[in-house]
Amino acid sequence: MKTIFVFSILSMALIIAFGSPFAGEQPVRDHYFESPEPVLPMTFAHIHHATVNCIDCHHNYNDDTGGGLCMNCHMTNEDVWPLLENQFHDLCRGCHAEKAALGEDGGPPRRCVDCHLGDDLP
Amino acid sequence: MGAGWFWDAGNGLGFAAFAGLLYLTITSSRRLDIRAHQVLGYAVLFLALFHAFWFLLGDTVAVEFIKPGAPDYMWLGIIGLLLLGVLITVALVPDRMRVHKDYPAFKYWHRVFAIVTIACITYHIVVSGFYLATWHQAALFVTVAVVVSFGRMYWIKLGKLPTVTVPAYIALSALLTAMFAAVRNLPL
Repeated sequence: MKTIFVFSILSMALIIAFGSPFAGEQPVRDHYFESPEPVLPMTFAHIHHATVNCIDCHHNYNDDTGGGLCMNCHMTNEDVWPLLENQFHDLCRGCHAEKAALGEDGGPPRRCVDCHLGDDLP
Repeated sequence: MGAGWFWDAGNGLGFAAFAGLLYLTITSSRRLDIRAHQVLGYAVLFLALFHAFWFLLGDTVAVEFIKPGAPDYMWLGIIGLLLLGVLITVALVPDRMRVHKDYPAFKYWHRVFAIVTIACITYHIVVSGFYLATWHQAALFVTVAVVVSFGRMYWIKLGKLPTVTVPAYIALSALLTAMFAAVRNLPL
């Protein structure tokens, strides 16, 4: 049992270092949108979210907190940047989970790789 | 309601491992069947490892959750897994004899390690908030963990509980995991 346990922990360390040999494409951390630290890419296309009210995400349209793309503030503003992960997880996952709870097709609710491979769509 | 079949099935395995750990704690009373306790401990460790590898092998990004900068509840999950491994492997002779010279000291520290392991995993489950969304649910879950950890005097009075065999535990875990994922993901 001890050997199996040590082997498992070593395997886990190898997966952490080199990635899963079975799980397909691996995302690359980088300074997307001029982020101060390397972050995971995100999958988001407006065309996939056409039924969502703009204001649900673009809060700056009515609370006067700035203009431009989401990432202009959320990646580069030193007050907002540290909250990026929690804010986007709450917003994206929350909405997807809510749709799933209503029995609607709301996109992936939880699996990390479903949202973190990145895409080229606007 | 569901978080996807992959995610819910993987976490169902984790819940099954935690339930096994609680069962082992409750049944570790005076009339302990040491061999059954030991063998079921292996099965609990196997399920806990299966839970971790499920995500690491099946989701390329899940690994980011256990790298530096990961949330504290994930670190507590890893620490809980390592403690569980140590708890089980060091409990076996001859390793036990190297660490603990006398049996009462071993029993004491084995129990302390078990309680710390339960605490780490309880934190991992509750603070992640993936399944216990309200404070009522979290409080009930923590209460169960505390009662199991510190209710030893009560559990002893229960006498010898039925022994759960490894095939029965694995089969029940598989069945309940499948039901858990199905209830959360099948359109109702």
